[in-house]
Amino acid sequence: MARAFLREHDRYVGVLESTERLVVQGLMQQTRLLLSPEIEPTGDAFDDLVASMGLSLSAADQAAAGANDSAAEADSSFDDRDPALDRLLPTAHRGDDQIAAEFRRLTEEGLRQRKSGNLDVAIECVERAVGDRVVLDESQAPAFLMALTDVRLLLGERMGMRTEEDAEALHAAMEDIDDEDPLGYAMAWYDFLTWLQETLTQALMGTDLRDVVTAYDDEDDDDLEDLPDEGGPRDGAV
Amino acid sequence: MTAATLSLAPVEQEVTSTDEVVAPDVPWVTIVWNDPVNLMTYVTWVFETYFGYARAKAEKLMMDVHVKGRAVVSNGPRESMERDAEALQGYGLWATFEKDR
Repeated sequence: MARAFLREHDRYVGVLESTERLVVQGLMQQTRLLLSPEIEPTGDAFDDLVASMGLSLSAADQAAAGANDSAAEADSSFDDRDPALDRLLPTAHRGDDQIAAEFRRLTEEGLRQRKSGNLDVAIECVERAVGDRVVLDESQAPAFLMALTDVRLLLGERMGMRTEEDAEALHAAMEDIDDEDPLGYAMAWYDFLTWLQETLTQALMGTDLRDVVTAYDDEDDDDLEDLPDEGGPRDGAV
Repeated sequence: MTAATLSLAPVEQEVTSTDEVVAPDVPWVTIVWNDPVNLMTYVTWVFETYFGYARAKAEKLMMDVHVKGRAVVSNGPRESMERDAEALQGYGLWATFEKDR
Protein backbone atom coordinates (compact mmCIF):
# COMPACT_ATOMS: atom_id res chain seq x y z
CA MET A 1 0.00 0.00 0.00
CA ALA A 2 1.35 3.37 -0.95
CA ARG A 3 2.09 5.98 1.67
CA ALA A 4 1.69 9.72 1.19
CA PHE A 5 4.61 12.03 0.51
CA LEU A 6 5.65 13.44 3.86
CA ARG A 7 8.38 15.88 4.74
CA GLU A 8 11.39 14.30 6.43
CA HIS A 9 13.90 17.03 7.33
CA ASP A 10 14.89 18.55 3.97
CA ARG A 11 13.46 15.70 1.91
CA TYR A 12 10.01 14.64 0.73
CA VAL A 13 9.50 10.91 1.02
CA GLY A 14 6.71 8.79 -0.38
CA VAL A 15 6.38 5.03 -0.33
CA LEU A 16 5.38 3.27 -3.54
CA GLU A 17 5.28 -0.47 -4.11
CA SER A 18 7.06 -1.90 -7.13
CA THR A 19 3.87 -2.22 -9.20
CA GLU A 20 2.93 1.35 -8.38
CA ARG A 21 6.40 2.57 -9.32
CA LEU A 22 6.30 0.65 -12.60
CA VAL A 23 2.97 2.14 -13.61
CA VAL A 24 3.80 5.68 -12.49
CA GLN A 25 7.09 5.48 -14.36
CA GLY A 26 5.41 4.04 -17.45
CA LEU A 27 2.84 6.82 -17.51
CA MET A 28 5.58 9.43 -17.06
CA GLN A 29 7.53 7.91 -19.93
CA GLN A 30 4.51 8.04 -22.22
CA THR A 31 3.93 11.66 -21.33
CA ARG A 32 7.63 12.35 -21.93
CA LEU A 33 7.36 10.74 -25.35
CA LEU A 34 4.38 12.88 -26.34
CA LEU A 35 6.15 16.05 -25.23
CA SER A 36 9.55 15.25 -26.70
CA PRO A 37 11.17 18.48 -27.83
CA GLU A 38 12.72 18.74 -31.25
CA ILE A 39 16.01 19.64 -29.63
CA GLU A 40 16.59 17.22 -26.78
CA PRO A 41 18.16 18.65 -23.64
CA THR A 42 21.92 18.07 -23.78
CA GLY A 43 22.63 18.15 -20.07
CA ASP A 44 24.56 21.38 -20.57
CA ALA A 45 22.46 24.07 -18.92
CA PHE A 46 23.74 26.85 -21.17
CA ASP A 47 23.26 24.94 -24.42
CA ASP A 48 19.76 23.97 -23.33
CA LEU A 49 18.92 27.56 -22.51
CA VAL A 50 20.09 28.72 -25.92
CA ALA A 51 18.15 25.92 -27.60
CA SER A 52 15.02 26.70 -25.63
CA MET A 53 15.18 30.29 -26.85
CA GLY A 54 15.30 29.06 -30.41
CA LEU A 55 12.20 29.08 -32.53
CA SER A 56 10.29 25.91 -33.13
CA LEU A 57 11.59 24.10 -36.19
CA SER A 58 8.53 22.06 -37.01
CA ALA A 59 7.08 22.46 -40.46
CA ALA A 60 3.67 23.33 -39.06
CA ASP A 61 5.03 26.16 -36.96
CA GLN A 62 7.13 27.47 -39.81
CA ALA A 63 4.10 27.42 -42.08
CA ALA A 64 2.13 29.25 -39.43
CA ALA A 65 4.85 31.85 -39.13
CA GLY A 66 5.05 32.32 -42.88
CA ALA A 67 1.33 32.77 -43.22
CA ASN A 68 1.19 36.03 -41.38
CA ASP A 69 -1.82 37.27 -43.24
CA SER A 70 -3.74 34.05 -42.93
CA ALA A 71 -4.75 33.22 -39.41
CA ALA A 72 -7.00 30.48 -40.74
CA GLU A 73 -4.09 28.77 -42.41
CA ALA A 74 -2.00 29.06 -39.28
CA ASP A 75 -4.78 27.50 -37.30
CA SER A 76 -5.38 24.66 -39.70
CA SER A 77 -1.78 23.53 -39.43
CA PHE A 78 -2.60 22.28 -35.94
CA ASP A 79 -5.58 20.23 -37.03
CA ASP A 80 -3.55 17.01 -37.10
CA ARG A 81 -2.19 17.56 -33.62
CA ASP A 82 -2.84 15.03 -30.91
CA PRO A 83 -5.60 16.69 -28.82
CA ALA A 84 -3.65 15.82 -25.67
CA LEU A 85 -0.94 18.22 -26.83
CA ASP A 86 -3.51 20.99 -26.90
CA ARG A 87 -4.19 20.25 -23.27
CA LEU A 88 -0.51 20.14 -22.29
CA LEU A 89 0.39 23.10 -24.50
CA PRO A 90 -2.92 24.95 -24.77
CA THR A 91 -3.67 27.95 -26.91
CA ALA A 92 -2.57 31.05 -25.03
CA HIS A 93 -4.96 33.48 -26.65
CA ARG A 94 -8.64 32.81 -27.07
CA GLY A 95 -10.03 34.84 -29.90
CA ASP A 96 -6.99 35.74 -31.94
CA ASP A 97 -5.53 32.75 -33.77
CA GLN A 98 -2.65 34.76 -35.14
CA ILE A 99 -1.47 35.90 -31.70
CA ALA A 100 -1.93 32.31 -30.48
CA ALA A 101 0.13 30.89 -33.35
CA GLU A 102 2.89 33.42 -32.83
CA PHE A 103 3.02 32.67 -29.10
CA ARG A 104 3.17 28.96 -29.83
CA ARG A 105 6.00 29.45 -32.29
CA LEU A 106 8.00 31.38 -29.73
CA THR A 107 7.31 29.26 -26.65
CA GLU A 108 6.45 25.69 -27.57
CA GLU A 109 9.96 24.32 -27.89
CA GLY A 110 10.97 25.81 -24.55
CA LEU A 111 7.85 24.50 -22.84
CA ARG A 112 8.40 21.02 -24.26
CA GLN A 113 11.98 21.07 -22.96
CA ARG A 114 10.95 22.25 -19.52
CA LYS A 115 8.16 19.68 -19.19
CA SER A 116 10.38 16.90 -20.53
CA GLY A 117 13.07 17.91 -18.07
CA ASN A 118 10.60 17.68 -15.17
CA LEU A 119 9.49 14.25 -16.34
CA ASP A 120 13.12 13.08 -16.64
CA VAL A 121 13.79 14.17 -13.05
CA ALA A 122 10.63 12.44 -11.81
CA ILE A 123 11.31 9.22 -13.71
CA GLU A 124 14.82 9.09 -12.26
CA CYS A 125 13.55 9.68 -8.72
CA VAL A 126 11.13 6.77 -9.06
CA GLU A 127 13.87 4.59 -10.53
CA ARG A 128 16.17 5.35 -7.62
CA ALA A 129 13.67 4.29 -4.95
CA VAL A 130 15.32 2.27 -2.23
CA GLY A 131 13.17 0.02 -0.09
CA ASP A 132 10.05 1.39 -1.83
CA ARG A 133 10.94 4.92 -0.64
CA VAL A 134 10.81 7.61 -3.30
CA VAL A 135 12.96 10.44 -1.98
CA LEU A 136 12.82 13.97 -3.41
CA ASP A 137 15.04 16.91 -2.50
CA GLU A 138 13.92 20.55 -2.53
CA SER A 139 14.51 20.98 -6.26
CA GLN A 140 13.19 17.59 -7.33
CA ALA A 141 9.89 17.94 -5.48
CA PRO A 142 8.47 20.77 -7.66
CA ALA A 143 9.63 18.95 -10.81
CA PHE A 144 7.89 15.80 -9.58
CA LEU A 145 4.74 17.79 -8.89
CA MET A 146 4.69 19.32 -12.37
CA ALA A 147 5.41 15.93 -13.93
CA LEU A 148 2.42 14.45 -12.09
CA THR A 149 0.28 17.31 -13.38
CA ASP A 150 1.23 16.64 -16.98
CA VAL A 151 0.65 12.90 -16.61
CA ARG A 152 -2.80 13.56 -15.14
CA LEU A 153 -3.60 16.07 -17.89
CA LEU A 154 -2.72 13.46 -20.49
CA LEU A 155 -4.66 10.68 -18.75
CA GLY A 156 -7.62 13.01 -18.26
CA GLU A 157 -7.65 13.98 -21.92
CA ARG A 158 -7.45 10.34 -23.03
CA MET A 159 -10.44 9.53 -20.83
CA GLY A 160 -12.42 12.44 -22.24
CA MET A 161 -12.27 14.47 -19.03
CA ARG A 162 -12.48 18.00 -20.33
CA THR A 163 -15.03 19.61 -18.03
CA GLU A 164 -16.11 19.21 -14.42
CA GLU A 165 -19.23 17.46 -15.75
CA ASP A 166 -17.06 14.97 -17.65
CA ALA A 167 -15.15 14.24 -14.45
CA GLU A 168 -18.34 13.64 -12.49
CA ALA A 169 -19.80 11.47 -15.23
CA LEU A 170 -16.61 9.41 -15.39
CA HIS A 171 -16.56 8.85 -11.66
CA ALA A 172 -20.24 7.91 -11.73
CA ALA A 173 -19.61 5.46 -14.57
CA MET A 174 -17.01 3.67 -12.44
CA GLU A 175 -19.82 2.34 -10.24
CA ASP A 176 -20.79 -0.36 -12.70
CA ILE A 177 -17.97 -0.51 -15.15
CA ASP A 178 -16.92 -3.88 -16.53
CA ASP A 179 -13.88 -5.40 -14.80
CA GLU A 180 -12.13 -5.77 -18.12
CA ASP A 181 -12.78 -2.23 -19.30
CA PRO A 182 -9.43 -0.43 -19.71
CA LEU A 183 -11.18 2.80 -18.74
CA GLY A 184 -11.52 1.33 -15.26
CA TYR A 185 -7.76 0.82 -14.99
CA ALA A 186 -7.06 4.27 -16.34
CA MET A 187 -9.46 5.87 -13.89
CA ALA A 188 -8.08 3.91 -10.94
CA TRP A 189 -4.56 5.07 -11.75
CA TYR A 190 -5.75 8.61 -12.38
CA ASP A 191 -7.31 8.68 -8.90
CA PHE A 192 -4.13 7.22 -7.44
CA LEU A 193 -2.00 9.92 -9.07
CA THR A 194 -4.44 12.59 -7.87
CA TRP A 195 -4.02 11.36 -4.31
CA LEU A 196 -0.23 11.19 -4.67
CA GLN A 197 -0.04 14.72 -6.06
CA GLU A 198 -2.32 16.06 -3.33
CA THR A 199 -0.04 14.68 -0.63
CA LEU A 200 3.13 16.05 -2.21
CA THR A 201 1.54 19.47 -2.75
CA GLN A 202 0.45 19.68 0.88
CA ALA A 203 3.87 18.53 2.04
CA LEU A 204 5.47 21.28 -0.04
CA MET A 205 3.05 23.88 1.29
CA GLY A 206 3.85 22.84 4.82
CA THR A 207 0.22 22.10 5.64
CA ASP A 208 -0.95 19.14 7.62
CA LEU A 209 -2.72 16.71 5.38
CA ARG A 210 -6.30 17.87 5.20
CA ASP A 211 -9.03 15.58 3.98
CA VAL A 212 -6.39 13.27 2.64
CA VAL A 213 -5.48 9.87 3.98
CA THR A 214 -1.80 9.09 4.44
CA ALA A 215 -2.10 5.50 3.33
CA TYR A 216 -3.71 4.82 -0.02
CA ASP A 217 -6.61 2.51 0.65
CA ASP A 218 -7.11 0.60 -2.55
CA GLU A 219 -9.97 -1.49 -1.23
CA ASP A 220 -12.30 0.03 -3.75
CA ASP A 221 -9.67 0.07 -6.43
CA ASP A 222 -9.09 -3.59 -7.13
CA ASP A 223 -7.68 -2.54 -10.46
CA LEU A 224 -4.53 -1.34 -8.75
CA GLU A 225 -3.93 -4.86 -7.48
CA ASP A 226 -5.07 -6.86 -10.44
CA LEU A 227 -3.02 -5.42 -13.22
CA PRO A 228 -3.28 -7.65 -16.24
CA ASP A 229 -0.07 -9.18 -17.57
CA GLU A 230 -0.62 -7.38 -20.81
CA GLY A 231 -2.45 -4.19 -21.51
CA GLY A 232 -3.57 -1.88 -18.77
CA PRO A 233 -2.16 1.54 -18.12
CA ARG A 234 1.39 0.27 -18.29
CA ASP A 235 1.43 0.01 -22.05
CA GLY A 236 -1.67 1.28 -23.68
CA ALA A 237 -4.31 3.00 -21.70
CA VAL A 238 -2.79 6.40 -22.24
CA MET B 1 -10.70 21.82 -10.14
CA THR B 2 -10.67 18.76 -7.99
CA ALA B 3 -10.21 17.93 -4.38
CA ALA B 4 -10.03 18.95 -0.85
CA THR B 5 -12.03 21.69 0.72
CA LEU B 6 -10.07 24.64 1.93
CA SER B 7 -10.67 26.90 4.83
CA LEU B 8 -10.22 30.41 3.58
CA ALA B 9 -8.62 33.15 5.56
CA PRO B 10 -9.59 36.73 4.73
CA VAL B 11 -7.63 38.24 1.90
CA GLU B 12 -4.79 40.30 3.28
CA GLN B 13 -4.08 42.37 0.26
CA GLU B 14 -6.53 44.86 -1.09
CA VAL B 15 -7.84 44.05 -4.52
CA THR B 16 -9.75 46.31 -6.85
CA SER B 17 -12.67 44.01 -7.46
CA THR B 18 -13.94 40.74 -6.12
CA ASP B 19 -12.44 38.58 -8.78
CA GLU B 20 -9.56 40.46 -10.31
CA VAL B 21 -6.26 42.00 -9.33
CA VAL B 22 -6.23 44.65 -12.00
CA ALA B 23 -4.61 48.00 -11.57
CA PRO B 24 -6.01 50.82 -13.68
CA ASP B 25 -4.31 51.77 -16.93
CA VAL B 26 -2.69 48.40 -17.41
CA PRO B 27 -3.66 47.09 -20.78
CA TRP B 28 -2.87 43.35 -20.68
CA VAL B 29 -3.87 40.56 -18.31
CA THR B 30 -3.03 36.91 -17.68
CA ILE B 31 -6.01 34.65 -17.09
CA VAL B 32 -6.16 31.18 -15.56
CA TRP B 33 -9.14 29.03 -16.54
CA ASN B 34 -10.83 26.30 -14.57
CA ASP B 35 -10.20 22.72 -15.61
CA PRO B 36 -11.27 19.39 -14.12
CA VAL B 37 -7.75 18.03 -13.61
CA ASN B 38 -5.73 20.57 -11.66
CA LEU B 39 -6.00 20.30 -7.89
CA MET B 40 -7.12 23.23 -5.77
CA THR B 41 -4.08 22.90 -3.52
CA TYR B 42 -1.74 22.64 -6.49
CA VAL B 43 -3.16 25.78 -8.16
CA THR B 44 -2.69 27.64 -4.86
CA TRP B 45 0.89 26.36 -4.64
CA VAL B 46 1.59 27.55 -8.19
CA PHE B 47 0.29 31.07 -7.44
CA GLU B 48 2.44 31.22 -4.31
CA THR B 49 5.50 29.77 -5.97
CA TYR B 50 5.47 31.63 -9.27
CA PHE B 51 4.02 35.00 -8.29
CA GLY B 52 5.15 34.98 -4.67
CA TYR B 53 1.57 35.75 -3.60
CA ALA B 54 0.69 35.25 0.07
CA ARG B 55 -1.33 32.15 0.94
CA ALA B 56 -4.57 34.08 1.41
CA LYS B 57 -4.30 35.86 -1.93
CA ALA B 58 -3.29 32.68 -3.73
CA GLU B 59 -6.27 30.82 -2.25
CA LYS B 60 -8.61 33.67 -3.16
CA LEU B 61 -7.50 33.60 -6.79
CA MET B 62 -7.70 29.80 -6.84
CA MET B 63 -11.28 29.92 -5.54
CA ASP B 64 -12.16 32.47 -8.24
CA VAL B 65 -10.83 30.09 -10.89
CA HIS B 66 -12.75 27.24 -9.32
CA VAL B 67 -16.07 29.01 -8.73
CA LYS B 68 -16.17 31.61 -11.50
CA GLY B 69 -14.37 29.54 -14.11
CA ARG B 70 -11.52 32.00 -14.57
CA ALA B 71 -9.48 34.62 -12.76
CA VAL B 72 -7.17 37.42 -13.78
CA VAL B 73 -3.96 36.52 -12.00
CA SER B 74 -1.63 39.28 -13.18
CA ASN B 75 -1.60 42.42 -15.27
CA GLY B 76 1.00 44.53 -17.02
CA PRO B 77 2.63 45.05 -20.38
CA ARG B 78 2.01 42.44 -23.04
CA GLU B 79 5.53 40.98 -22.84
CA SER B 80 5.14 40.33 -19.10
CA MET B 81 1.75 38.70 -19.61
CA GLU B 82 3.16 36.45 -22.32
CA ARG B 83 5.91 35.47 -19.90
CA ASP B 84 3.39 34.75 -17.13
CA ALA B 85 1.16 32.71 -19.44
CA GLU B 86 4.14 30.70 -20.65
CA ALA B 87 5.35 30.04 -17.10
CA LEU B 88 1.89 29.02 -15.87
CA GLN B 89 1.49 26.67 -18.83
CA GLY B 90 4.81 25.19 -17.78
CA TYR B 91 3.12 24.37 -14.46
CA GLY B 92 0.26 22.75 -16.35
CA LEU B 93 -2.33 25.46 -15.72
CA TRP B 94 -4.62 26.59 -18.50
CA ALA B 95 -3.29 30.14 -18.83
CA THR B 96 -3.99 32.71 -21.52
CA PHE B 97 -3.18 36.39 -21.99
CA GLU B 98 -5.24 39.10 -23.60
CA LYS B 99 -5.72 42.82 -23.84
CA ASP B 100 -7.78 43.98 -20.92
CA ARG B 101 -11.22 45.12 -21.91
